[in-house]
Amino acid sequence: MLTRQISVATPIFLLIFLIQEAVVSQFRLPGGGFSILMIFALTWAVLSQPEVAAVIGFSSGILMDLSQSASGPFGQWTLIMLLAGYAISYIGYGDDNIHANAIGIVFFVVIANFFVEIAYLLTGALLGVSIGSLGQIVITLFGMSIWALLVSPIMLPVFTRLHALIFDSRASL
Amino acid sequence: MRKGGEGRARLLLVILIVTSLFLITLDLRGVKVLENFKQGTQTVLSPFQRAGAAVLNPVKNFLSDATQLGRTGNQIEKLEAENAELKLQLLNRKNADGQLAQLENILDLAGTAGYKIVNAKVISQGSSQSFAQTITIDSGSNAGIKKNMTVLSQFGLAGVVKDVYPNSALIQLASDSAFKVGARIAGTQQIGILSGQGNRSASLQLLDNSTTVKVGDVLLARGSIANRPFVPGVPLGYVSQVDNSAGAIAQTATIRYYTNFSTLGVVAVVVSGPTSDPGDSLVPKKPQVTPIPTVTVTVTPTPTANN
Repeated sequence: MLTRQISVATPIFLLIFLIQEAVVSQFRLPGGGFSILMIFALTWAVLSQPEVAAVIGFSSGILMDLSQSASGPFGQWTLIMLLAGYAISYIGYGDDNIHANAIGIVFFVVIANFFVEIAYLLTGALLGVSIGSLGQIVITLFGMSIWALLVSPIMLPVFTRLHALIFDSRASL
Repeated sequence: MRKGGEGRARLLLVILIVTSLFLITLDLRGVKVLENFKQGTQTVLSPFQRAGAAVLNPVKNFLSDATQLGRTGNQIEKLEAENAELKLQLLNRKNADGQLAQLENILDLAGTAGYKIVNAKVISQGSSQSFAQTITIDSGSNAGIKKNMTVLSQFGLAGVVKDVYPNSALIQLASDSAFKVGARIAGTQQIGILSGQGNRSASLQLLDNSTTVKVGDVLLARGSIANRPFVPGVPLGYVSQVDNSAGAIAQTATIRYYTNFSTLGVVAVVVSGPTSDPGDSLVPKKPQVTPIPTVTVTVTPTPTANN
């Protein structure tokens, strides 16, 4: 069962990573743009059990660390995404107000996106990563949240279906 | 049973956290394995990025044009219908022309200073998720590009080579908040340090507290030992605002870069610097006002038949 889940989930993660690096990164969007990989990982984390969400966060974090645009040390995104995945799943797990409601999932993903970026800034400051002026940081933080708010509802049906395909095998059968 | 499951989940979480911390420690200690891993990923990704750039360039230009149109206010209504149709036809042509014009200006700049350059196309703009300003170009170590080489745009400094892969390279843009370059003011030769701020503005700190700077002063790169990371004489930008606050140890100013980082399509990497310092020869010429000839119409009364 676990082998099947991993073997199906891995190419999906790689495909999303490829889309992020080859397509989304082509555009210098105002306000910092968005990370489709982060939105994907956070959406899956909301829908999963805490331990599965931690693995999802860990895997997506490794891919984000492999991205050329990652300026911090290798492992920084891995740690943040792992903790973020576990935390949002732990908070939302078993709460039907979140899982049974598309708006709830989008809201959770957007808020998580915002806090993940803040966590990146804080850990970056601890690790000596230069992060720029306060004004620019505020613009980027809010810009990314707005982008996440715009993109999440569009991608949600695809992401939830993929999640159901892998993790709810009995339901789909 | 449930207790055992919880324990296992906790163990998994601990293992993953320890692994992450282990990776961070390895990276901070400069272990090569991780760098090679990242390099391998980029080698695999660069063909996809190149394909993505080729396919999406017309769309990028269209979006950029649409944004510009939104700012022109009352002219939009008049030109919109006509432009929309023509723009679609011209997208590909415009893209090629734009890159050609950029390349022509880069070659002019490099030729004047005597820089030996390698031209490259931008294949990825990078993401701001890590608060870093980078681009990826389609040439790498196979074309002679090495780490810490100066990167030029058609207007002046674009950035510096941060990482090199066989067929691509990562460029840290001059707008990145971690970017710093030694600068001198053209003419007065005062020196200072220019730091990126995450956008097209930069901050200049003069090194000598007895010197002054004024709005409109042009800044050039001072150059580094053996021309790496910076070759001398590259235009950086101009002073847009001077901070005259009392009590400051050295004068500071805000600089506007010549390079527009969001429209970079073609750049050049300086693989070999000039034999002598080009001095102020690369200072951009100020735009000259072309006088518009006045049309004088003389009306001569024609005698009518009644007279």
